[in-house]
Amino acid sequence: MTKALISTHGLRKTYGKRNNKFDALRGITIDINKGETVAIVGKSGSGKSTLMHLLALLDKPTKGEITLDSQPTAKLKARRLNAIRNKEFGFVFQSFFMNSNDTVLNNVILPLKIAGVSSRERRRRAIAALKTVELDDKRNNKANNLSGGQKQRVCIARAIVNDPKVIFADEPTGNLDSATGEKIISLLFRLNREKGITLIIVTHDLELANKCERQINIKDGHIVSDSTTDTELSDNVDDDTDNWEDEEADTQKFAGDNNIDGMLDHQPHITHIDIDKEEEE
Amino acid sequence: MKLLDIIHDANLNLLRNKLRSFLTILAIFIGSFSIISTSAIQAGVNNFIDSQVESYGGDGYLAIVSKDSFDALEGLQGTIGSNSKEPIEYNPDKIQDGMTPITKEKIEELKKIDGIDADSIVEQKTLSISYVASKKTDKKYLIGAEALPPGNVKVDTVTGEGLNLKADEYQILLESKYVDALGYTNENIINEKIQLVVVDQFKKTEKKFDAKVVGVIAPGVVSMGYSYTNNKLADDIYDENIKYYPPEYKDMTVAVAANYDSEKYSAQEIKDKLDDIGLSAMTIDDIIGTIKTFFDVILTVFKIFGLIALLAAAIGIINTLFMSVQERTREIGLDKALGMSSMRVFFNFSIEAISLGFWGSVFGITVSMLLGNLANNIFHAEGGFLESFPTFNLATYTIKDIIAVTALIMFISFLAGTLPARRAASKNPIDALRYE
Repeated sequence: MTKALISTHGLRKTYGKRNNKFDALRGITIDINKGETVAIVGKSGSGKSTLMHLLALLDKPTKGEITLDSQPTAKLKARRLNAIRNKEFGFVFQSFFMNSNDTVLNNVILPLKIAGVSSRERRRRAIAALKTVELDDKRNNKANNLSGGQKQRVCIARAIVNDPKVIFADEPTGNLDSATGEKIISLLFRLNREKGITLIIVTHDLELANKCERQINIKDGHIVSDSTTDTELSDNVDDDTDNWEDEEADTQKFAGDNNIDGMLDHQPHITHIDIDKEEEE
Repeated sequence: MKLLDIIHDANLNLLRNKLRSFLTILAIFIGSFSIISTSAIQAGVNNFIDSQVESYGGDGYLAIVSKDSFDALEGLQGTIGSNSKEPIEYNPDKIQDGMTPITKEKIEELKKIDGIDADSIVEQKTLSISYVASKKTDKKYLIGAEALPPGNVKVDTVTGEGLNLKADEYQILLESKYVDALGYTNENIINEKIQLVVVDQFKKTEKKFDAKVVGVIAPGVVSMGYSYTNNKLADDIYDENIKYYPPEYKDMTVAVAANYDSEKYSAQEIKDKLDDIGLSAMTIDDIIGTIKTFFDVILTVFKIFGLIALLAAAIGIINTLFMSVQERTREIGLDKALGMSSMRVFFNFSIEAISLGFWGSVFGITVSMLLGNLANNIFHAEGGFLESFPTFNLATYTIKDIIAVTALIMFISFLAGTLPARRAASKNPIDALRYE
């Protein structure tokens, strides 16, 4: 069995103090393998974004452990964490986060600039990344003058310019119409296929989630279902999840529904599964 | 490479909000302009004073009078000066009713003091010359002259070789305003003879001295319009001036100039030694120091104003950068998410602050230098108030001052920038990315 690329054990995250205490994550244990495509789904406030932030080493868990390439990350220095995010991770955000007054090329260059790559080399690599997203002809345009889909492609170019192992995408299609979203999704999966980049996608978009090999559903800081570990879970927790295949069929049926949130909320067969029960004790 | 990136980006970021950056730089400009301008004037004045000190014979110069004369001066000022509030009581132990002459015996004593250059001792003779005349004109002019002070290495001369003190002929260093009046130019007057005339007021006869012009003196504050003669000319005119004095007074003098070994002894040590034999001395610092202190005080006040302007500008920098940090919160978040260290974020904003300071000081110094050189030219032109001081540049810019002012302003800007830079560096990437 291959070693997991990222694994967490009993991950908890608490915000605020005393009376204002809020548990965003209440014990998350997952293994994400190299080359996997993982969708983290759940409604807003479920803790899915917090989980992504922890996995991307943008934040520290209150309790629990994250290991990256079998290496515990809790004791890593800020410098090392910065280097990991810079060299091994790529980020794609819902609202792009680009310097709109700067050129496309300079936006793509940013991670390399932070890494201190020489200007000739970073230009070469940025152009290569823009070619991958088929935007190299727009490299001298102002980022502001691009369409939403083009902006997101620039962001993907920025995410892959450092040849990352993992891309974290936070609602990558959230600001796009469905046709454009479709293209972005196929681009991300192409990167996964061709470069073996692990995809970790936080999304509301069921269609996108279902394209991933694995869906992790989060509610109130717990994992309520995990498509790959379901069988293991069912051994010691419940039996209902045996028919995940059926669930998925159901989900597909609902996919046309606009109220994706509501739909995720009303999955009667899986919501009662509390996989973290043992860890909570 | 990285540093160049940071500097480049910092300046690009300043260009993003041009008006705001411009106004901040303008505030720094005012501070740097006032500081560099006062420094330039200070350097100009000091250069001028130093060149004048040279004309006194440098650091070792002493102007010596008897101790009683000092008391007399004090008495005079206390009695008829504007500070005389109360009459001064008569003190039989002090001679306070007139200058006390220095006798020949005293001068012999002075010569024996260790550290005093015996050969340099010159009796200060203020010569009474009735008028000066030349072959080229019928006009006659009043003139003030005295023997050149001792140790005169170099008088600030416009042309000519200067005096040969020991020469057996009559020689004079002529004050520049006489050159034109006597019908010559600075060039053709050298080695020409002019006539110094002493009129005997009792017999109404004239005694004439033909003096060779060996140089023209650049006008200055210290020379006060005096021309300088060599010893022979001074002695002979003086003898004519005092021919009616009783014989015992002829050997006396009110003031003596001498040089001391300024490397071996401090001014105070020499003053103490002279005090022991009843003489009082003033050094070059005592004479020039007052002028220097006066200018220094005024210019220091201006410098303080400049610093206050800079302080205000520093607050402008803080304000500008705080706004910038606020506006760019998401950008900072992105930078940090993509692996930029807090230290680097801090540097980015610090360098922006330093860049503001740098541009402000560059503009301030450039404008000040343009105006300063313009002022120098205007003041030296005909009718300008420095027309008669060709060697005096009001504004003198030294590399040292320029670097010091730029460095100071960049440092102040850096300090001002640390506050917003720290805020930027301490931002949490997640919060910053969520910021709307």
